[in-house]
Amino acid sequence: MSPVLRLLLRRLGISLIVLIGVSMLIFTIARVIPGDPARIALGPNATPEQVANLRAEMHLDEPLVLQYGHFLADVSRGDLGTSLYTNRPVTLDIAQFLPATLELVLIAGIIMVALGLPLGILAARYRGRWPDHLIRIFSLLTVSAPSFVWAVILMLLFAFYLPIFPIAGRISDIYDIDRHTGFLLIDTLLAGNIAAFGDAIRHLILPAVALALSGIGQAARLTRANMVETYDKPYIEMAQAYGFFPSRIARIYAFKPSLIPSLTIIGLDFAAMLGNAFLVEAVFAWPGLSRYGVAVILRKDLNAIMGTVLIIALTFLIVNVIVDLLIAFLNPRIRHSTRAT
Amino acid sequence: MKRKSLLAAALCAATALSSPAFAETVLRLDEVAVGELDPAKASDYADSILMFNVYDTLVLPQQGGPGHVPHLASDWSVDGSTYTFNLRDDVTFQSGNPLRAEDVVYSLERSQALGSGLSYLLAGVSAEAVDEHIVVFSLEQPYAPFVASLVRLPIVDKALVEAKKGDDEWGEAFLSANGAGTGAYTVTSHNPQEETVMAKNDGYFLGVSDVAPDTVRLRYGLEAATVRTLIAQGEHDISSQWLPPEVMTALANDGAQLFSETGTGAFYLKMNTTKPPLDDVNCRLALAHAFDYQTAIQMVAITDDVSSGSAATGAIPVGMFGANGPDNVQAQNLEKAAEYLSACAYDPADMNIEVSWIAEVPLEERFALLFQSNLSQLGVQSEIKKLPWALFAEQVSKPENTPHVSQIFVNAVTGDPDTLLYGMYHSSTPGTWQSPEYLNDSQVDAFLDAGRSASTDEEREAAYSGLNARLMEIAPTIYGYDRQSVFAASNRVKAPALSDPSQAFGLDGMGFSFRLMEMVEE
Amino acid sequence: MIRAIRILAANPLSLVGVILVALVVFAAIFAPWIAPFPTHNGAVVDFAFANKPPSARNWMGTDLVGRDLFSRILYAYQISLVLGVVVLAIAAPVGTIFGLLAGYLGGWAEAILMRIVDVFLSIPPLVLAIAMMGVLEPTLTNAMLAVTVMWWPWYARLVYAIARSEREEGYVLAAEVIGAGTAHIAFREILPNCLPAIITKMTLDMGFVIIIASSLSFLGLGVQPPTPDLGSMVAEGARYLPDSWWLTVFPGLAILIAVFGFNLMGDGLREVLGVDE
Repeated sequence: MSPVLRLLLRRLGISLIVLIGVSMLIFTIARVIPGDPARIALGPNATPEQVANLRAEMHLDEPLVLQYGHFLADVSRGDLGTSLYTNRPVTLDIAQFLPATLELVLIAGIIMVALGLPLGILAARYRGRWPDHLIRIFSLLTVSAPSFVWAVILMLLFAFYLPIFPIAGRISDIYDIDRHTGFLLIDTLLAGNIAAFGDAIRHLILPAVALALSGIGQAARLTRANMVETYDKPYIEMAQAYGFFPSRIARIYAFKPSLIPSLTIIGLDFAAMLGNAFLVEAVFAWPGLSRYGVAVILRKDLNAIMGTVLIIALTFLIVNVIVDLLIAFLNPRIRHSTRAT
Repeated sequence: MKRKSLLAAALCAATALSSPAFAETVLRLDEVAVGELDPAKASDYADSILMFNVYDTLVLPQQGGPGHVPHLASDWSVDGSTYTFNLRDDVTFQSGNPLRAEDVVYSLERSQALGSGLSYLLAGVSAEAVDEHIVVFSLEQPYAPFVASLVRLPIVDKALVEAKKGDDEWGEAFLSANGAGTGAYTVTSHNPQEETVMAKNDGYFLGVSDVAPDTVRLRYGLEAATVRTLIAQGEHDISSQWLPPEVMTALANDGAQLFSETGTGAFYLKMNTTKPPLDDVNCRLALAHAFDYQTAIQMVAITDDVSSGSAATGAIPVGMFGANGPDNVQAQNLEKAAEYLSACAYDPADMNIEVSWIAEVPLEERFALLFQSNLSQLGVQSEIKKLPWALFAEQVSKPENTPHVSQIFVNAVTGDPDTLLYGMYHSSTPGTWQSPEYLNDSQVDAFLDAGRSASTDEEREAAYSGLNARLMEIAPTIYGYDRQSVFAASNRVKAPALSDPSQAFGLDGMGFSFRLMEMVEE
Repeated sequence: MIRAIRILAANPLSLVGVILVALVVFAAIFAPWIAPFPTHNGAVVDFAFANKPPSARNWMGTDLVGRDLFSRILYAYQISLVLGVVVLAIAAPVGTIFGLLAGYLGGWAEAILMRIVDVFLSIPPLVLAIAMMGVLEPTLTNAMLAVTVMWWPWYARLVYAIARSEREEGYVLAAEVIGAGTAHIAFREILPNCLPAIITKMTLDMGFVIIIASSLSFLGLGVQPPTPDLGSMVAEGARYLPDSWWLTVFPGLAILIAVFGFNLMGDGLREVLGVDE
C-alpha cells in the first residue's frame, strides 16, 4: 500500500471519529436548550395535545442515550428532520444554500492565496526594507478587525458612496439562470451567458474580499516567515554564491519549500472563513448556509442548527484531508516514507 | 476571442426572439420574514401577501367600507348557524381544474387537520358540498365574525394536491414549494432565503389589467440599508413596513412615496396580571399612566403627515366596534400614576419590573428604553430583556415565566374585533403570545361572548363598548398606540388600495393584491 | 527588562501598540470619569438629541434614542476587556494542563486527550461559539463561556507540541532518572519552557477574543442591550447606513484600534521573548 494511500485512510479514519465526536457535542448542546423543543417547534398557537404528540414523535420522553441513537439513525439515513424556519426538510435547505456559501468561501480562498503569497514573497525578498514594513502593517491591520467591520466599510465605500459594486445578493434580477449546480459561476457558464457570469463575479467581489482580508494578511506573514527561514538554509546560500538571479532563487529554491507550512495555515484559514461567512453573509444578504445558520439559531430551530453545524464541520474536515494530501504530495519525505505521521 | 463574440451574437439573437413586443414590467418588494407558501400555514405579513395573490377566498372585504362582498362565491345566505354559499361557475385553478364545492371542503379540512397558521379562526366550523357549486358551512356556536374569517380560508386545488402529494397525507411538501390556487399570480420560483417570483395569471377569472406588473419579485430578509439604497438607485419598488422610521424619512426626503394600510391593529405593552406587583390593579394603573404615549407616537413619525402610529383612545383601535372617540386620547399623567402607585399594596422600592422586547423587532428596544425611563420618573426600577420570538412564545405558556411587561404588535387578521380581542382577553385562552396578561375577569368574558354571538351591528357595538370600558378600568394592558402599516415606495408603482382610503380593504396584506397595482414609467 | 525596553524603542510599531493598549485600558477603567455623559451606558433616553451627527456636544454623534456614542464606546471597552481577560484566564490554564499531560505522558492519554481537542478544533471556532450561544441565553457570562469553550483547545495544541518535543530533552530525562514525579516534571520542568509562547499567544489572543466576542454580539448572540457593546452597536448602526454613518463607523474603528494595539504589542513581545510564529 502506498504511503499516500495509507495516509489518506488514516486521515479519513480520524475524521470519522472526530465527526462522531462533533455529532455528540452538537447533540449535547442542542439538548441543554432552555425550553421545550416541541413547544418551540409548534409555534404560538399549538394545543397541549399537539405538543405531547410531537414530544413522543421527537422521542423527547426517552433517555438521552436513546435520543442520540435515534438522531444518529436518522442522520445516517440522510434525514435531518424538518426546519421550523422554512417548514422544509433540513437536507433540502442545506442542498439549496450550501453552494452559495462554498462559492463565496472558495473565491475568498483564491483571493487570499493569490494576494497573500505574492505579498509574503515580496516582503521576504525586501526583508527589512520599506515594502516589508508596509506589508507587515497591512497584515497586522487587516487581522485587527472582524470581517463584518471590513464588510460594512467596503460596502459603505464601494456600494454606497461609489456605487461600483452591487449592494446585495448573488446576481441581478434580469438574469434568469437555471440553477443546476447552485454555483452561479458554473451555472451561468453552463447557460452560456457571459454577461450573467460577469454579473455574478461583480456580486461576489465585495463579500469575498471582506471575507479574505484577514486571511491575506496572515498568509503573507506566514509565507514571509517561512521564506526568511529557507533563505538562511545552506542550499540557498550556495545558489546565491553561484550567482543565480534573485528572482529565480525566490521562485524555485525558496518558495517551494515555504509552500508547505503556508498550505497548513490556509487549511486553518478556510475554517476561519467558514465561520466568518456567518458575518459577511449577514451584511450582504448572501443567501447561503451561514445566513440560514444565523436565522435558525435565532429561532431555536434545533434540527436546522444541528444539520448546519454538522455540514460545516464535515466541509472543514474534507478540506483538511485535501490539504494533508497536498502536503504529502509536495513533501518527498512523506511521499516516500513508510511511516506517515 | 472570436468564439466569444459569436456566443455574444447568439445570445443577442436569443433575447431578441424571446422578448415581447412591449417591455415586461417587474415589481420588486421585500419582507423581513421568510414567506410561507402553504396557505394553511400562513400567519404573518409575507405569508398573507403570497396567499392573497396565489389563492382566492370566497369573500373579500368591501373596499373603503365595512362588510364583505362575494368573490369566489356568487352569493350566500344565512340561516341561524348555517351558511350556504353558491360558487361562481366560471372559475378555474391555475392548473386548469375547475373550482368545485369539494375544493372548499378540502381546504377547510386540510387547514383544520394541520392545525397551524390561522386555522383557529375556523375551529368550530364544518363544511359540506351539497352540489358541485354549493357548499354549506355549519357552526357549532353562533360566531359573528364567521364571514370575516373566510378571508383567511384560501381555496386549494384538491385534485392537483391529491395528484402530487405522494405519501404525504396533506401534500405539505408540494404546497410549501408550489402554488395550487386560482389567484391572479402564479408561483414561478420560491427560495425561502432569497425570493419568491410570481407571474401574472392570464387565465384569472376576473381578468388582470395590462398595467398590473407582469412579474413580481418578493425578496426576503434584506437589510434596511440595502432596501434604502436599492430604492434610491431605482432597483426596488416597495419596502416592508418594518423599515425603521428614520430610514423611511430619509427615503421620503429623497422623493419616495409612502403607502399605508390603515389598521386594525395596535402596539401594546401587556402586563402579566398574575405576577406581583402587577396582580394589583392600582399598580397596573400606575404603570399605564406613567407611559409617555406622545413620545412613543413621535418616535414612529415619518413625515409631518405620515406616521405609523396614531393616539389610542382606549382598549379598542379606532375604526372598530366599541372604539372610543378622539376626546379619550391616552396621555401620560405622572401625578395620577404616583397616586395609583401609593394605593398599590406593594412597596415601590422593592419592585423590579421586567420589560421584554422581541428581538426581531428592533423598534421595540426603543419603546422599552422609553418605558424604563418613564418608570424611573415614577421611582420604579426596571430591567430590559430581549427575547427572540420563538423563545417568547415558549415562555408565555407559563405564567411564572412570562415577563411583567411584554411588548407586542397585534393585528386583527380578519379585521374583526373578535379576532383581535377574544384571543387576548378571554379567560379560556391564556398564555399565548397574544395573551401574556393571563386575564381572568368574568365581566370581560361576558362582553366577549356577547360580542361573538350578537346578531346585529348594534348589539356588537354595545358589547364592545362595554368591554372597552371594563378593560380601561382593570388595565391589563397599556394601549400604546393605534398602528398603521407604512411602506416606502418608488414612483414606478401605483397602488390605490394602499394610498386611497376609499379603495382600502381594511385587512392586513390585502392591499398588496398585485392585480390592483399599476406600473408606470417614471 | 532592559533588553525589552531597548527592543521596544528600536521597534516603533510595538511602541505604538503599547500606547494604543494603554489608551484603551485607561479609557475602560476611567470611563465613568472621562465620559461626557456617564449615565449613557444604560437605559437613558433623550429624544431631543436622537440620531445626531458628530458635533462639539457629542464628538461621535448620538444613537437613535439620543445617547452619546463616545460615552457608550468608552463603556463598551470595559465589557470587551473584561471578557477578554476572563476568557483567557480560564482558557489558557485549562488548555495548558491538557496539552502538558498529553504531550508529556504520551500513549493512551495522548491519544484520548488530543482526539478530544481535535473534535473541538474540527468545528470552525466561530461556528462553535455561535451554535452554543444559539441554545444558551444571551448573557455576558454565557458569551464568556462559549468563547472559552472554543478557545482552550488552541492552547492545548500549542503546549502539546512544545511538551512533546521537550519530552526527550536531556533535562527531562535527568529529572526522570532522579525520580521526580509526573506532576513535578510537567509543571516545574516543562511548563517554564512553554511560558514565553503562552504569554505571547495570550497577548495576541486578547485582540482575537475581542473580535470573536464582538462577532457574537454582531449576530445578536452576545451581550444584550442596553449594555453597550461594540459588536451590537455596529450591527444596530448598519441598518441606518449610509445616512447615519457614525453609528457604525465609530464602533467599528473602536474595535480596530483596540485589536490593532494588542496585535502590535504581541508582535513586539514575540521578538522580546524569542517565540517563533
